[in-house]
Amino acid sequence: MNQQIQKLRDQFSENDDFFMLQDSFLGTPVVLLGLKSLIDVVPMKLSLQTYHAAAIESHITLDAFKKVLGEADEAVGAHEIYGSILNGKLFIYFEADDSFVIMDPIPRALNRSIETPINENVMQGSQSAFTEDIATNVGLVRKQLQSDHLRVHTHTIGTEEAKDVALVYYEGRADMDFIRRIERQFAQNKNKTIENLQQFSKEILGFPTWSMVSKFNQTELPQEAAHSLRKGRVLLFVDRLPLALVTPGMLWDAFCLDSDRNFPLPLMLFLRTVRVLGALATLILPGLYVALVSVNPEVLRIEMALSIAQTRAGVPYPAIIEIIFMFVVIELTIEASFRLPKTIGPTITMVGGIILGQAAVQAKLVSNLLIIILAATTIANSTIIGLQQSLALRISKYVVVVLASMFGVLGILEGMLLICGYLGSLTAYGIPFVGFPNAKSEANRG
Amino acid sequence: MDKSWQVALMYFIVHLGLIFFMYPGDIIASTQDGHWIPIVLGFALHLAALSLYLKGLFNWGNNDIIALYMKAGKGYAVLFLLPLAVYFFMACITVVRCSAEIMTIVMLSSTPLWAVMLTFLLIPTYFALKGITSIFRTGVLIGMMNVPIILFFFSFSFQNIDWRYVFPMIGKASFLTEPSYLESFFVFAGGFLFLGFIQPHVAFRKRYVILAAIALLPFFIFSVYIPLLTFGQSTASTFNFPFIVSLDTISITWLMFERITVFLLLSLISFLMLFLSLSLWSTMRIVHAGIPALKPRYLLVSIPVLVYVVCLAIPSWTDIVKLFWWNTYLRFYIMAAIPLSTYFLASRSKKRMVRS
Repeated sequence: MNQQIQKLRDQFSENDDFFMLQDSFLGTPVVLLGLKSLIDVVPMKLSLQTYHAAAIESHITLDAFKKVLGEADEAVGAHEIYGSILNGKLFIYFEADDSFVIMDPIPRALNRSIETPINENVMQGSQSAFTEDIATNVGLVRKQLQSDHLRVHTHTIGTEEAKDVALVYYEGRADMDFIRRIERQFAQNKNKTIENLQQFSKEILGFPTWSMVSKFNQTELPQEAAHSLRKGRVLLFVDRLPLALVTPGMLWDAFCLDSDRNFPLPLMLFLRTVRVLGALATLILPGLYVALVSVNPEVLRIEMALSIAQTRAGVPYPAIIEIIFMFVVIELTIEASFRLPKTIGPTITMVGGIILGQAAVQAKLVSNLLIIILAATTIANSTIIGLQQSLALRISKYVVVVLASMFGVLGILEGMLLICGYLGSLTAYGIPFVGFPNAKSEANRG
Repeated sequence: MDKSWQVALMYFIVHLGLIFFMYPGDIIASTQDGHWIPIVLGFALHLAALSLYLKGLFNWGNNDIIALYMKAGKGYAVLFLLPLAVYFFMACITVVRCSAEIMTIVMLSSTPLWAVMLTFLLIPTYFALKGITSIFRTGVLIGMMNVPIILFFFSFSFQNIDWRYVFPMIGKASFLTEPSYLESFFVFAGGFLFLGFIQPHVAFRKRYVILAAIALLPFFIFSVYIPLLTFGQSTASTFNFPFIVSLDTISITWLMFERITVFLLLSLISFLMLFLSLSLWSTMRIVHAGIPALKPRYLLVSIPVLVYVVCLAIPSWTDIVKLFWWNTYLRFYIMAAIPLSTYFLASRSKKRMVRS
């Protein structure tokens, strides 16, 4: 037997899902090699038989039959053969002339079908969501955006552990410098391994690790992805990740959805205003409570100040401790409801939110008003788009709260200024995070 | 990339931040009647200096004034850039000290002054460390948040006015020699100089900045006239910050807040912080040009530290006023010399370029 086959068998000897079948095509003996876990063997054999029967009927030569089966590239090295078997390909070895064919067999169904989005809700928009399979995802984008300007570049990154990454952009609208920069990064870091997005963003693309805001805006929705392509953004797909990474991420992504445009304009504006208000309320409300209660009660009308003081009567510690304490409880509730099975989630929310809150008020541990502020903040927090953005917002409100406890209303302003300054300073390869994707400059690009 | 509207917005809000504190008091103190004359005169001088400066900058092309003076010769650089750096430094000190003082008076009576001044320096330093383009983007965000607040309270400040206080419209020209009138030029001198430093990083068009300057005229006029029309000249002249006092008289029944002045003040402070970050950054540029061995990053940390130390060393409000007055000579020198020299040096270099 050929050396190469021997070597392959040795390499796969510890894998029980490896198969090696003897067969004969047009009178010459062949060996079929592959992985049972990736190839559905019975239908594969059936289809090979069909090919074979057709070949006998039409009296074609062995060489022509090889071409029918798949690519017969003599120059392919042992490493590529190994990789293609791992990738789910069928390796057919012809013993007579020591040649081989790598064939695309019938794969096992290891991908889920296209479903509705799980982490994002769509109001009046396309309902299909990205899946784990990178080809399906690119296909979904192609379906959504049927244009001859759409460009797809696929890269396989990692030597020890290979991962497919696809870069999709709209030629003529995307910033070509940006795309060249990404391609260069891919080429430079071709051998590194991608295990997760943190590594992907740091090792492959070279973005800073300690950034509160991700350089990618993640979306599950082909409609949003296509919209960002039209706006000149770049999509990155990583195989086995049911998300499109829209890069560069921008601030306005947190407030604007493309499916908003399926509503009449005034309704769209209303929705977006609500989101902006939600973000502002999340940042300001807790800080305002702390500032008004503990530092600047004189800013309020006297009636209001009195009623606030009344709700706090009997609370034994300063407002900052009170609010941090309750926020920790809320954070725990949110995290727990993520972890728990869907059936128990609502129970926890009820126990945590209503019973605990009410009990805490009745035990005079926290004030009534704080519970209202807390609920309002938590709800407002969820109005903005994207889990990551909402998480970043959730964390940044603490900056405001702490500063407010020291400097009162001025502290709120300082917190907001710091946040503005931080957002203003973010860039991805020179493209600012706070920027309007404007049509005029898009036209000049490319 | 063209960032005209960012620059225009920045110009607008930086001036808004400067106008409402000292300016009304100075103008009201400078004359008995016909206040619009000193305001318009100051504004016209400001506009003239600005357009001369811009003309010079655009003749010079896509570069900053440090390069202009350096090219003209070391002597020019020392003659113009050194006073400019000192002026920016002094402006930082006065702004930080004044605004911290006002803040402690108005709302933070129990917070120590050093803590307030510290935050007033830390935040602009943070902005400046992030770079000039980042300052402008931050400016846009802050402007979008705070300009509506300013406009809202500004429009409500007309609540208690009596238009008869406008008269007499014509006053004497004696204000020209009043120290307080000369001090009022602080508003005009500080804000426009940063335009000369941003050019290679942030490109802009002349027209936008001029429009932003013209849009400021109503604010200049009404910042003085609102306290005048609310209290009358004789009462208004007794206040240190007449506009802020007149805002304290406003009551908006449906608002749950008693003292809306606080919110106006906060917006103004946020604009002042942008002004500070621009000034710190410009000072850093000048010092860096003088001593290139010092790294910009270290300079941006050490200049605020110096400002902070000086601020701590100023014992009282009367000393700030004195400092402000000493600054006046430098201010007029800067306001006249920088635009003029920029204009002449730039046109000279342009002529040379054409000849060669």
